[in-house]
Amino acid sequence: MATPKELSADAVNNTVVGPSILISGKLTGDEDLTVRGRVEGELTLSRTLIVEPSGVVKANVAVKNAIVSGVVVGNINATESVELTREGRMVGDIHAPRVIIVDGASFRGRVDMGDVEPGRLPAERPVVARPTTVARPTTPAARPSTTPPRPPVAPSRPTQATVVARPTPPPPPVARPPQSKPLPPPPPPRAEPRPAAPAPVVEQTASAEPPTPFAVGAGAKKKVVVKKKTR
Amino acid sequence: MANTVIGSSIVIDGEISGDEDLVIQGTVKGKISLKESLYVEGSGVVEADIETQNVEIAGRVTGNIVASDKVELKTDCRVVGDIKAPRILIADGASFKGNVDMDMKER
Repeated sequence: MATPKELSADAVNNTVVGPSILISGKLTGDEDLTVRGRVEGELTLSRTLIVEPSGVVKANVAVKNAIVSGVVVGNINATESVELTREGRMVGDIHAPRVIIVDGASFRGRVDMGDVEPGRLPAERPVVARPTTVARPTTPAARPSTTPPRPPVAPSRPTQATVVARPTPPPPPVARPPQSKPLPPPPPPRAEPRPAAPAPVVEQTASAEPPTPFAVGAGAKKKVVVKKKTR
Repeated sequence: MANTVIGSSIVIDGEISGDEDLVIQGTVKGKISLKESLYVEGSGVVEADIETQNVEIAGRVTGNIVASDKVELKTDCRVVGDIKAPRILIADGASFKGNVDMDMKER
Protein backbone atom coordinates (compact mmCIF):
# COMPACT_ATOMS: atom_id res chain seq x y z
CA MET A 1 0.00 0.00 0.00
CA ALA A 2 1.18 3.48 -0.72
CA THR A 3 -0.90 4.73 2.13
CA PRO A 4 1.65 4.88 4.92
CA LYS A 5 4.17 6.61 2.72
CA GLU A 6 1.71 9.24 1.71
CA LEU A 7 0.82 9.76 5.30
CA SER A 8 4.31 10.40 6.48
CA ALA A 9 4.95 12.69 3.57
CA ASP A 10 2.03 14.85 4.52
CA ALA A 11 3.01 15.02 8.16
CA VAL A 12 1.57 12.45 10.43
CA ASN A 13 -1.18 14.27 12.18
CA ASN A 14 -2.77 15.80 9.20
CA THR A 15 -6.05 15.38 7.45
CA VAL A 16 -6.21 15.51 3.71
CA VAL A 17 -9.25 15.62 1.52
CA GLY A 18 -8.11 14.30 -1.83
CA PRO A 19 -8.99 15.83 -5.16
CA SER A 20 -11.82 13.50 -6.05
CA ILE A 21 -13.45 13.57 -2.63
CA LEU A 22 -16.62 15.43 -1.81
CA ILE A 23 -17.57 15.94 1.80
CA SER A 24 -20.90 17.53 2.42
CA GLY A 25 -22.09 18.20 5.89
CA LYS A 26 -20.35 19.26 8.99
CA LEU A 27 -16.65 18.85 9.60
CA THR A 28 -14.96 19.62 12.89
CA GLY A 29 -11.52 18.88 14.22
CA ASP A 30 -8.44 19.86 16.17
CA GLU A 31 -5.80 19.38 13.52
CA ASP A 32 -4.65 20.86 10.26
CA LEU A 33 -6.82 20.13 7.28
CA THR A 34 -5.70 20.19 3.69
CA VAL A 35 -8.43 20.35 1.09
CA ARG A 36 -7.67 19.25 -2.45
CA GLY A 37 -11.20 18.17 -3.19
CA ARG A 38 -14.51 19.65 -2.16
CA VAL A 39 -15.98 20.38 1.22
CA GLU A 40 -19.48 21.74 1.52
CA GLY A 41 -21.45 22.70 4.55
CA GLU A 42 -19.73 23.75 7.69
CA LEU A 43 -16.08 23.54 8.64
CA THR A 44 -14.75 24.13 12.13
CA LEU A 45 -11.14 23.60 13.11
CA SER A 46 -9.01 24.72 16.00
CA ARG A 47 -6.02 24.80 13.71
CA THR A 48 -5.14 25.58 10.12
CA LEU A 49 -7.19 25.10 7.01
CA ILE A 50 -5.25 24.87 3.78
CA VAL A 51 -7.21 25.01 0.58
CA GLU A 52 -4.95 23.91 -2.21
CA PRO A 53 -5.35 25.06 -5.80
CA SER A 54 -7.56 22.11 -6.67
CA GLY A 55 -9.62 22.53 -3.51
CA VAL A 56 -13.11 23.95 -3.34
CA VAL A 57 -14.74 24.88 -0.07
CA LYS A 58 -18.34 26.00 -0.05
CA ALA A 59 -18.85 26.38 3.61
CA ASN A 60 -18.90 28.63 6.54
CA VAL A 61 -15.46 28.24 7.96
CA ALA A 62 -14.30 28.80 11.52
CA VAL A 63 -10.60 28.15 12.03
CA LYS A 64 -7.47 29.55 13.56
CA ASN A 65 -5.61 30.08 10.30
CA ALA A 66 -6.73 29.75 6.74
CA ILE A 67 -4.53 29.66 3.67
CA VAL A 68 -6.55 29.80 0.51
CA SER A 69 -4.95 28.82 -2.77
CA GLY A 70 -8.11 27.33 -4.19
CA VAL A 71 -11.71 28.43 -4.14
CA VAL A 72 -13.71 29.37 -1.10
CA VAL A 73 -17.32 30.39 -1.23
CA GLY A 74 -18.60 31.30 2.19
CA ASN A 75 -17.50 33.23 5.19
CA ILE A 76 -14.25 32.66 6.97
CA ASN A 77 -13.94 33.42 10.61
CA ALA A 78 -10.37 33.04 11.78
CA THR A 79 -9.00 33.69 15.22
CA GLU A 80 -5.57 34.40 13.82
CA SER A 81 -5.13 34.95 10.12
CA VAL A 82 -6.51 34.46 6.65
CA GLU A 83 -4.27 34.44 3.64
CA LEU A 84 -5.38 34.52 0.04
CA THR A 85 -2.49 33.44 -2.09
CA ARG A 86 -1.85 34.22 -5.72
CA GLU A 87 -4.11 31.41 -6.86
CA GLY A 88 -6.74 31.98 -4.22
CA ARG A 89 -10.27 32.90 -5.18
CA MET A 90 -12.85 33.71 -2.64
CA VAL A 91 -16.35 35.07 -2.36
CA GLY A 92 -17.55 35.77 1.15
CA ASP A 93 -16.68 37.72 4.22
CA ILE A 94 -13.47 37.45 6.15
CA HIS A 95 -13.30 38.09 9.83
CA ALA A 96 -9.80 37.82 11.23
CA PRO A 97 -7.26 40.01 12.98
CA ARG A 98 -4.79 39.44 10.19
CA VAL A 99 -5.87 39.28 6.59
CA ILE A 100 -3.36 38.88 3.80
CA ILE A 101 -4.40 39.24 0.21
CA VAL A 102 -1.63 38.69 -2.24
CA ASP A 103 -1.36 40.10 -5.73
CA GLY A 104 -3.20 37.80 -8.11
CA ALA A 105 -5.75 36.66 -5.58
CA SER A 106 -9.36 37.42 -6.30
CA PHE A 107 -11.79 38.23 -3.60
CA ARG A 108 -15.27 39.61 -3.27
CA GLY A 109 -16.68 40.26 0.13
CA ARG A 110 -16.08 42.14 3.28
CA VAL A 111 -13.04 42.16 5.46
CA ASP A 112 -13.28 42.75 9.16
CA MET A 113 -10.08 42.84 11.15
CA GLY A 114 -11.84 43.76 14.34
CA ASP A 115 -10.39 46.61 16.34
CA VAL A 116 -7.60 47.99 14.28
CA GLU A 117 -4.92 48.99 16.70
CA PRO A 118 -2.66 51.43 14.90
CA GLY A 119 0.38 50.34 16.85
CA ARG A 120 0.05 46.67 16.25
CA LEU A 121 -0.92 46.13 12.65
CA PRO A 122 1.91 48.02 10.97
CA ALA A 123 4.35 45.98 12.96
CA GLU A 124 2.95 42.77 11.62
CA ARG A 125 2.30 43.88 8.13
CA PRO A 126 5.83 44.27 6.79
CA VAL A 127 6.71 40.73 7.71
CA VAL A 128 4.19 39.09 5.50
CA ALA A 129 3.05 41.67 3.02
CA ARG A 130 6.36 42.91 1.76
CA PRO A 131 6.77 40.45 -1.09
CA THR A 132 3.38 41.57 -2.26
CA THR A 133 4.33 45.14 -2.87
CA VAL A 134 7.59 44.18 -4.44
CA ALA A 135 5.96 41.86 -6.91
CA ARG A 136 3.34 44.35 -7.89
CA PRO A 137 4.09 45.86 -11.27
CA THR A 138 1.18 48.28 -11.16
CA THR A 139 2.97 50.67 -8.85
CA PRO A 140 4.82 52.58 -11.55
CA ALA A 141 1.59 53.03 -13.46
CA ALA A 142 0.00 54.69 -10.50
CA ARG A 143 2.78 57.17 -10.06
CA PRO A 144 2.27 59.27 -13.21
CA SER A 145 -1.26 60.04 -12.16
CA THR A 146 -0.09 61.45 -8.88
CA THR A 147 2.78 63.38 -10.41
CA PRO A 148 0.87 65.72 -12.74
CA PRO A 149 -0.50 67.95 -10.00
CA ARG A 150 3.02 68.93 -9.14
CA PRO A 151 4.17 70.64 -12.38
CA PRO A 152 1.67 73.49 -12.03
CA VAL A 153 3.26 74.29 -8.71
CA ALA A 154 6.74 74.22 -10.09
CA PRO A 155 6.44 77.11 -12.54
CA SER A 156 5.39 79.46 -9.79
CA ARG A 157 8.63 78.87 -7.96
CA PRO A 158 11.59 78.53 -10.27
CA THR A 159 13.81 77.17 -7.55
CA GLN A 160 11.66 74.12 -7.24
CA ALA A 161 12.20 73.08 -10.80
CA THR A 162 15.29 71.28 -9.68
CA VAL A 163 13.32 69.51 -7.04
CA VAL A 164 10.69 68.38 -9.48
CA ALA A 165 13.37 66.86 -11.60
CA ARG A 166 13.88 64.53 -8.70
CA PRO A 167 13.55 61.33 -10.74
CA THR A 168 16.97 61.95 -12.17
CA PRO A 169 19.27 60.81 -9.43
CA PRO A 170 20.96 63.44 -7.35
CA PRO A 171 24.13 64.16 -9.28
CA PRO A 172 26.88 64.66 -6.74
CA PRO A 173 25.90 62.47 -3.83
CA VAL A 174 27.39 59.35 -2.47
CA ALA A 175 26.89 56.27 -4.61
CA ARG A 176 24.40 54.84 -2.13
CA PRO A 177 21.68 54.61 -4.74
CA PRO A 178 18.34 52.99 -3.96
CA GLN A 179 17.78 54.40 -0.52
CA SER A 180 18.60 57.97 -1.36
CA LYS A 181 16.12 58.14 -4.20
CA PRO A 182 12.82 58.08 -2.30
CA LEU A 183 13.72 60.92 0.05
CA PRO A 184 15.79 63.46 -1.83
CA PRO A 185 17.98 65.01 0.78
CA PRO A 186 20.03 67.32 -1.41
CA PRO A 187 18.12 70.53 -0.67
CA PRO A 188 17.87 70.60 3.07
CA PRO A 189 19.20 74.09 3.67
CA ARG A 190 16.66 76.01 1.60
CA ALA A 191 13.40 77.04 3.13
CA GLU A 192 11.33 76.86 -0.03
CA PRO A 193 11.89 73.26 -1.10
CA ARG A 194 10.74 72.08 2.24
CA PRO A 195 7.10 71.62 1.21
CA ALA A 196 8.26 69.60 -1.72
CA ALA A 197 10.46 67.31 0.32
CA PRO A 198 7.70 65.85 2.47
CA ALA A 199 5.48 65.56 -0.54
CA PRO A 200 7.42 62.77 -2.21
CA VAL A 201 7.22 60.78 0.96
CA VAL A 202 3.47 61.06 1.02
CA GLU A 203 3.32 60.16 -2.58
CA GLN A 204 5.39 57.08 -2.02
CA THR A 205 3.21 55.68 0.68
CA ALA A 206 0.10 56.63 -1.18
CA SER A 207 1.18 54.96 -4.37
CA ALA A 208 2.20 51.83 -2.53
CA GLU A 209 -1.15 51.34 -0.84
CA PRO A 210 -3.94 52.10 -3.32
CA PRO A 211 -3.00 49.50 -5.91
CA THR A 212 -3.86 46.77 -3.45
CA PRO A 213 -7.64 47.15 -3.50
CA PHE A 214 -7.52 48.09 -7.12
CA ALA A 215 -5.74 44.98 -8.34
CA VAL A 216 -7.87 42.76 -6.17
CA GLY A 217 -11.10 44.30 -7.36
CA ALA A 218 -10.24 43.97 -10.99
CA GLY A 219 -9.14 40.41 -10.65
CA ALA A 220 -12.18 39.48 -8.62
CA LYS A 221 -14.69 40.39 -11.24
CA LYS A 222 -13.00 38.42 -13.95
CA LYS A 223 -12.43 35.33 -11.95
CA VAL A 224 -15.80 35.19 -10.30
CA VAL A 225 -17.35 34.87 -13.70
CA VAL A 226 -15.05 32.01 -14.54
CA LYS A 227 -15.91 30.28 -11.32
CA LYS A 228 -19.61 30.37 -12.07
CA LYS A 229 -19.01 28.61 -15.34
CA THR A 230 -17.21 25.78 -13.64
CA ARG A 231 -19.96 25.23 -11.17
CA MET B 1 -1.75 8.45 -5.87
CA ALA B 2 -4.18 10.82 -4.41
CA ASN B 3 -5.11 9.94 -0.94
CA THR B 4 -7.56 11.24 1.54
CA VAL B 5 -7.04 10.97 5.25
CA ILE B 6 -9.52 11.92 7.91
CA GLY B 7 -7.32 12.53 10.93
CA SER B 8 -8.02 11.29 14.41
CA SER B 9 -9.37 14.55 15.79
CA ILE B 10 -11.70 15.17 12.87
CA VAL B 11 -15.43 14.69 13.09
CA ILE B 12 -17.50 14.71 9.93
CA ASP B 13 -21.23 14.69 10.06
CA GLY B 14 -22.57 14.34 6.57
CA GLU B 15 -21.70 12.69 3.34
CA ILE B 16 -18.40 11.72 1.81
CA SER B 17 -18.12 10.64 -1.77
CA GLY B 18 -15.24 10.27 -4.15
CA ASP B 19 -13.11 8.23 -6.51
CA GLU B 20 -10.07 7.61 -4.40
CA ASP B 21 -8.89 5.77 -1.34
CA LEU B 22 -10.07 7.08 1.97
CA VAL B 23 -8.41 6.50 5.31
CA ILE B 24 -10.43 7.22 8.41
CA GLN B 25 -8.71 7.75 11.72
CA GLY B 26 -11.36 10.06 13.09
CA THR B 27 -15.12 10.01 13.22
CA VAL B 28 -17.54 10.00 10.33
CA LYS B 29 -21.30 9.96 10.65
CA GLY B 30 -23.69 9.88 7.74
CA LYS B 31 -22.82 8.20 4.49
CA ILE B 32 -19.71 7.17 2.64
CA SER B 33 -19.66 6.23 -1.01
CA LEU B 34 -16.43 5.62 -2.82
CA LYS B 35 -15.26 3.90 -5.96
CA GLU B 36 -12.04 2.79 -4.33
CA SER B 37 -10.97 1.47 -0.95
CA LEU B 38 -11.97 2.56 2.48
CA TYR B 39 -9.68 1.97 5.45
CA VAL B 40 -11.08 2.43 8.90
CA GLU B 41 -8.06 2.45 11.16
CA GLY B 42 -7.94 1.48 14.80
CA SER B 43 -8.86 4.94 16.02
CA GLY B 44 -11.55 5.36 13.39
CA VAL B 45 -15.22 5.47 14.23
CA VAL B 46 -17.79 5.27 11.47
CA GLU B 47 -21.49 5.53 11.98
CA ALA B 48 -22.53 5.47 8.40
CA ASP B 49 -23.75 3.43 5.53
CA ILE B 50 -20.80 2.50 3.39
CA GLU B 51 -20.72 1.83 -0.30
CA THR B 52 -17.33 1.15 -1.82
CA GLN B 53 -15.22 -1.30 -3.72
CA ASN B 54 -13.08 -2.48 -0.82
CA VAL B 55 -13.33 -1.95 2.90
CA GLU B 56 -10.77 -2.74 5.54
CA ILE B 57 -11.93 -2.20 9.07
CA ALA B 58 -9.73 -2.14 12.13
CA GLY B 59 -11.82 0.36 14.05
CA ARG B 60 -15.49 0.66 14.83
CA VAL B 61 -18.23 0.72 12.25
CA THR B 62 -21.94 0.96 12.80
CA GLY B 63 -23.96 0.81 9.61
CA ASN B 64 -24.55 -1.25 6.55
CA ILE B 65 -21.68 -2.03 4.24
CA VAL B 66 -21.99 -2.76 0.56
CA ALA B 67 -18.79 -3.48 -1.28
CA SER B 68 -18.39 -4.43 -4.91
CA ASP B 69 -15.24 -6.40 -4.20
CA LYS B 70 -14.21 -7.18 -0.65
CA VAL B 71 -14.86 -6.47 3.00
CA GLU B 72 -12.19 -7.28 5.52
CA LEU B 73 -12.80 -7.18 9.26
CA LYS B 74 -9.49 -7.05 11.06
CA THR B 75 -8.54 -8.34 14.44
CA ASP B 76 -9.66 -5.61 16.77
CA CYS B 77 -12.55 -4.20 14.85
CA ARG B 78 -16.09 -3.87 16.07
CA VAL B 79 -18.74 -3.88 13.42
CA VAL B 80 -22.49 -3.71 13.76
CA GLY B 81 -24.53 -3.83 10.57
CA ASP B 82 -25.14 -5.85 7.48
CA ILE B 83 -22.39 -6.65 5.04
CA LYS B 84 -22.94 -7.35 1.42
CA ALA B 85 -19.98 -8.20 -0.78
CA PRO B 86 -18.70 -11.03 -2.96
CA ARG B 87 -15.72 -11.54 -0.63
CA ILE B 88 -15.92 -11.14 3.09
CA LEU B 89 -13.06 -11.84 5.45
CA ILE B 90 -13.45 -11.91 9.19
CA ALA B 91 -10.24 -12.24 11.14
CA ASP B 92 -9.86 -13.97 14.45
CA GLY B 93 -10.57 -11.47 17.20
CA ALA B 94 -12.94 -9.33 15.19
CA SER B 95 -16.33 -8.68 16.69
CA PHE B 96 -19.24 -8.46 14.34
CA LYS B 97 -22.99 -8.43 14.61
CA GLY B 98 -25.15 -8.44 11.53
CA ASN B 99 -25.99 -10.26 8.37
CA VAL B 100 -23.55 -11.39 5.76
CA ASP B 101 -24.50 -11.60 2.13
CA MET B 102 -22.02 -12.86 -0.47
CA ASP B 103 -24.47 -13.29 -3.31
CA MET B 104 -23.55 -10.20 -5.15
CA LYS B 105 -22.09 -11.96 -8.18
CA GLU B 106 -25.29 -13.71 -9.06
CA ARG B 107 -27.31 -10.59 -8.99
